[in-house]
Amino acid sequence: MKYSIRKILFKKRIIIAFLILLTVIGIMGYAGSQNTNRLFTGSELLGILIVTFFMPAICMIYGSSVIRDEIEDKSIVHVFTSPFDRIFAYFSYYFSLVICLSLIIAVVTSLGFISFFAQQGIDGEAMNIYYTFMGLVFLGVFVYSALFLLTSVIFKRPIYFGLFFVFIWEGFIGSIPGNTQKISINFYLKSIGSKQLEYITVNGATDVNTSLMVIFASIIILIIFGSLIFKTKEFT
Amino acid sequence: MNKPLIKTVDLSKWYGEIIGLNSFEIEISSGITGLIGPNGSGKSTFLNLANGTLKPKTGQITVLGQNPWMNSKLMSNIGFCPDYDNLSDEVTGREFLELVGGLHGIKGIKLKNRINEISEVVGMKDELYRKIGGYSKGMRQRIKLAGSIIHEPKLLLLDEPLSGADPQVRKSLIELIKSLHNDLGHDIIISSHVLYEVERLTNKIALIYKGRAIASGEISEIRNLIDEHPHNIIIEGNKISDLAKKLLDMKYTISVGYQEDRKIIKVQVSKPDEFFETITELITSLDCEIERMYSIDDNLEAVFNYLVEG
Repeated sequence: MKYSIRKILFKKRIIIAFLILLTVIGIMGYAGSQNTNRLFTGSELLGILIVTFFMPAICMIYGSSVIRDEIEDKSIVHVFTSPFDRIFAYFSYYFSLVICLSLIIAVVTSLGFISFFAQQGIDGEAMNIYYTFMGLVFLGVFVYSALFLLTSVIFKRPIYFGLFFVFIWEGFIGSIPGNTQKISINFYLKSIGSKQLEYITVNGATDVNTSLMVIFASIIILIIFGSLIFKTKEFT
Repeated sequence: MNKPLIKTVDLSKWYGEIIGLNSFEIEISSGITGLIGPNGSGKSTFLNLANGTLKPKTGQITVLGQNPWMNSKLMSNIGFCPDYDNLSDEVTGREFLELVGGLHGIKGIKLKNRINEISEVVGMKDELYRKIGGYSKGMRQRIKLAGSIIHEPKLLLLDEPLSGADPQVRKSLIELIKSLHNDLGHDIIISSHVLYEVERLTNKIALIYKGRAIASGEISEIRNLIDEHPHNIIIEGNKISDLAKKLLDMKYTISVGYQEDRKIIKVQVSKPDEFFETITELITSLDCEIERMYSIDDNLEAVFNYLVEG
């Protein structure tokens, strides 16, 4: 796990996370300098930038490459020829990914929040927004990591599926009104947010328990499915 | 009789329409065994089936009495050194061994001691704190070997460990592999497409060709099989017609044919050893200038064609 974390954090890919961080700081910093309804605008920006776009995008970039990179450079053979059960190995990859992504996205969210609210004023209500979004991104990291780790075991080019999922599925289908949006993860994350903060509005939002249940069930199903595929995977 | 290290029964593996192994039957016992075959003959497929990274399509394989597929516990008794380079350039030799040792459940002071021990065995003690990116080909091979023995496996599977190494490195690797068996007691299966390399390691070999085990046993028996078949040799030079005539008188010569302006002759011989013993004497006794002489059967592919097709 220590080795996986090191591999995830110290690859050149971290530059992408850094660029995302700069973009979020730039956009939120600029918005913060404008005369605006700070609580609504701040929540809206964090919702669009982090929850809808950057968080799934970062999870896709990292998640779809963790195991796939090791398959490509053949270093996965060390894991496959060790007495370490492959199911545990898969869990180890998953938790390494979750730890790294939580760290990266927490930094992006925190600095984005500060760059906006530091100019608009940080009070108890602003902190409530911060805590809610931190909770949402951690939940998001758990579920998106499970999904993209699975795709990295199934597909040779998981990034194509990832692009489709993040931009078309989550970005487009997740914003269609009515029941269609309920087949996206983003909908349940935003539903939870909308029940915690009045500044987030979601049409037809499900209650917190239902949303949490859907998210946790997705995590469990994706991890079990992924670990079983990993266990029976041949290395050619 | 000792239980075989590896036993296969009607083992087949194919990738789409490409056959890796086809009704492969072999029994390998303790010691060092050379697995010889041309590129693409199925050597790596066999080793990957033995280390559990591939699943047989049909048939069975048992390694140390167990089925290796989805049998992670068995891996503590198997060490695998692949033919490809899967080392990260960014880590040091020590970090690599720590990773592999960790995957085998070796930790703390035991891991530290074990790394010191095996780095000495493979002659890498002074290089452990250098990044692998700066290692030479031979060093990379040595550190890979160290990784495959860190958990003291009973059986070592070495896939083309000498491939791509220069003659000096080859020599030292051969000595190292010998010592892994003689001094540390590992049973070793080593694949190669170069017969003479394996001859320096062991006299026990198995021949693989087109996914089948075509012969196995003592190297001398295999050599006899090979020697019984005609061998083609090309001789290029000036004034070689006299040499051609002389060669026709030799008992071992089957035929002599001219090619391209009578400057090249193709000699087919039944006993290549005798041919090579006498040819220097023949050339010096005649007034001919030899520019080049080579056997077109040196590659294993040709030898295997003889063995399979007769």
